Amino acid sequence: MNIALNPQQAWQQISNQEWTPAQARHLHRRAAWAAVPEQIDAAMRLGPQATVRQMFQKPTSLSMPKSVAEVEQERRGSYQRMRAVESPEARRQLQREARQRAVAAGQEMTMDWLEFASSPPHAAYEKWISFLQNIFVVSLESVRNPAWIFEHHQLLRQGGTGSYRDLCRAVSRSTAMILYLDLHLSRASAPNENFARELFELFMLGEGNYTESDVKAAARAFTGYRHRNGEFHLDRNQQDRDPKTIFNRTGRWSGDDVIRLALEEEAAATFLPSQLCQFYLAEETLPTPYIEELGKIWRQADFNLEVLLNRFFTSRIFYEAQFQGNLIKSPLHFHLGLVQDLQLTVRPFPRTVLVSYRQMGQHLYHPPNIRGWVGGRLWANSSTLGARRQLVESLFQPINEAQLNADETTALKAARERGRVELAVSRERLLQLGETDPEIVADRFVQFFLPRPVGPGYRNALITYLKEGPGQSADRIHTAAMAMLQSPEYNLC
Amino acid sequence: MKHRPFTRREFLHTSGGGLGLLAFSPWAPLFLTQSAMAGAPKPEKDRTVLVLVQLAGGNDGLNTCIPYEDQNYYELRPTLAINKGSVLKINHEIGLHQSCAPLQRLLNDGKLSIVQNVGYPNPNRSHFRSTEIWETASDSDRYARTGWLGRFFDNACNGKPSDGSPSGVHLGNEVPQSFLADHPHAFHGMQPNSRGRRQHQETVKLLGSLLKSSAETPSTPNGSFLQHTMMNAIATDHRVQNILDSHKTQVTYPANAFGQSLAAIASLIAGGMETRVYFATLGGFDTHSNQAGNHANLLRTLSEGLSAFQRDLENRRLADQVVTLTFSEFGRRPNENDSGGTDHGTAAPLFIMGSKVKGGLIGSAPKLDPKNRGGVDFTTDFRQVYSTVLERWLGCPSTPILGRPFEQVPFL
Repeated sequence: MNIALNPQQAWQQISNQEWTPAQARHLHRRAAWAAVPEQIDAAMRLGPQATVRQMFQKPTSLSMPKSVAEVEQERRGSYQRMRAVESPEARRQLQREARQRAVAAGQEMTMDWLEFASSPPHAAYEKWISFLQNIFVVSLESVRNPAWIFEHHQLLRQGGTGSYRDLCRAVSRSTAMILYLDLHLSRASAPNENFARELFELFMLGEGNYTESDVKAAARAFTGYRHRNGEFHLDRNQQDRDPKTIFNRTGRWSGDDVIRLALEEEAAATFLPSQLCQFYLAEETLPTPYIEELGKIWRQADFNLEVLLNRFFTSRIFYEAQFQGNLIKSPLHFHLGLVQDLQLTVRPFPRTVLVSYRQMGQHLYHPPNIRGWVGGRLWANSSTLGARRQLVESLFQPINEAQLNADETTALKAARERGRVELAVSRERLLQLGETDPEIVADRFVQFFLPRPVGPGYRNALITYLKEGPGQSADRIHTAAMAMLQSPEYNLC
Repeated sequence: MKHRPFTRREFLHTSGGGLGLLAFSPWAPLFLTQSAMAGAPKPEKDRTVLVLVQLAGGNDGLNTCIPYEDQNYYELRPTLAINKGSVLKINHEIGLHQSCAPLQRLLNDGKLSIVQNVGYPNPNRSHFRSTEIWETASDSDRYARTGWLGRFFDNACNGKPSDGSPSGVHLGNEVPQSFLADHPHAFHGMQPNSRGRRQHQETVKLLGSLLKSSAETPSTPNGSFLQHTMMNAIATDHRVQNILDSHKTQVTYPANAFGQSLAAIASLIAGGMETRVYFATLGGFDTHSNQAGNHANLLRTLSEGLSAFQRDLENRRLADQVVTLTFSEFGRRPNENDSGGTDHGTAAPLFIMGSKVKGGLIGSAPKLDPKNRGGVDFTTDFRQVYSTVLERWLGCPSTPILGRPFEQVPFL
């Protein structure tokens, strides 16, 4: 990888003088889902530093869906209720029903979050949360209780701009994580290594930066981590309080100590920055000196995530041409990007929306394993790209409300009561975007939708179609927008 | 020998769609470069095809196959019951709704089987969940990641088209959950109505020329990778469109989206696509209120569409190759509600159509009890139907797909 800047220059911040609308668009397309014109205007007024600070402001208003809270409420009394039921068949029936309610509540939670994340002021922060979710992976499928998944994500949201030390400690106390990585089974007499291993490998240091005996000793330090009704609880009877040697240091280390010790390791400063670069800059690993330089900055800031984010997204390297339009959007980014670019709202139909995600290869809240989604080129094969193209087409097709089932009709009505609902792109809306002069339309669309300038051939193909294609000019604009959004260029960011 | 107008040679020389040159670019669609080495594979004339028709919303089975001699039926449905006089009688206890005359003719000709009371244990009344159960073929308390046809695609090497045809074709933009698979397979979504299809065709054409022009200018490595992958998919679209244009039907289908969907499927089968599974949907069956007129219209749309499809296949001498199976997430309650409709129920009849089916009514009439208003008890598990289709029609062992053996149903 050839980078024009040296490692010191790379992480210097760009100045207000160098700040252009094209860079503001890149920032929004990369750090959030799309470049919404109003936000680009605001970014130009604010300059890069203030824009990034604003984008990563912690949101306040995501509350637990009612159905999720009910599932949790119900679970609390369920043990007694189950015991009161005599026949095994009736008990099984109750369990089945509870399971179904939990699954439905999980879907509602997913839909709620999509709607929340699709709103432009929340976009960058929620994308950052999706990054953290892909580090601190838990799965609805194995945790089952959506309330605990919600709390886990809430904890990432709360700690997403604080110290990484605090975040890791909070994660070690997260009920969802305790269950997902078997901490609840870990006893002084039989420590379970699952969590300790992933803590080092996937959360803090990366493979090769710890030994097997570090893992074994750390596992002992995390014994006794339990939860009671979703609240963290340390069971002292199950805790191993004997001296342990971790990273060549011996002491009566607790779980929190392990996290502190791990952060003192050299690899800790580069592990998360390297993940960050892979997610937000380039799939290829940057040359070590670049990562080390960013790691140095981060360690100096005592592993504060806000400092890391602000520095990263205002750095010169982030705006280098070679790092624009070089990444493949995740299905989440593709979908919410479309919603924002086309000024739509997320359709309130779990069946349509969530199945579409599965088709695109990202079954939301159900990551394939502890490593989460690998992403990059693995997002794209003929099936998943076909599903992306179909998603685009579906957003251009009006919904036939007569064909909806009663649940969907209810969901639609509820969404309309909550506020603006735009289910499909209307021709009028596209016309608002531009004029009808083919060259102007083509240029606006390219600038509006695509992450990099296109070659003359692409532009000419659009203009020719807008001039000579069949139908009315409004039809041609409609079709041109659809084809562009399906093209490889729009799948990049 | 079937007419097979769309050859790779023609494809290579098609320039109107903006894809002609593309074949010579370094990113030529996979099947073009492959076939250049292997030579065109022989068309497989004897390949069996399954067409799945989803009746979305929960079809009211009791007003489709009507137990017209059962007093309980009339008691449970004081306003919605179909009177005995207008029922199209099949036997001494069951008759079809009067909108189903075309189906009755198919039944008389031995080209239609009806399986009664199809469902599953511990039925679920949520649309979402029950549809998922039918599409993934899971037990109602298990959650499967993949669809039953997806597992068929994963398992059956002879289910995989060798000519670059998609494994499954579905109408509309949503890929059915039945197709979800562990391995990537090509699917193709078709626009059911001609307006949508025209625009789809236009979009694909423009996308083709955008891809071509992108291939001419240097892109990022990921950009080139996406271009390459997408060209494969575009080649399918292009081929589908060509077939639809060159294999237009001679039969008059009802002028609605469902009829047009079936017409398009017949054209694709006739055009030599090696696709073995097609999926069409007819929605609107969630008749909680004002059911009578709406349901009659839906059944008419269904019957006329299916019968035109069968006639079309017969004209094209393809009827021996195709079986059509309907399904719906659930039937409806035996009792009507206060809004002139019915609420979510359980088991219901389903139809299997084709020249090779055995024909006739299978299973007993639903047992109705005015005191039991929950739903019709199932007497045939839907996975028995799937198992029969897999083993006897698609020629594929069903246990790996359904997880365990199911007793087959004698409609094939």
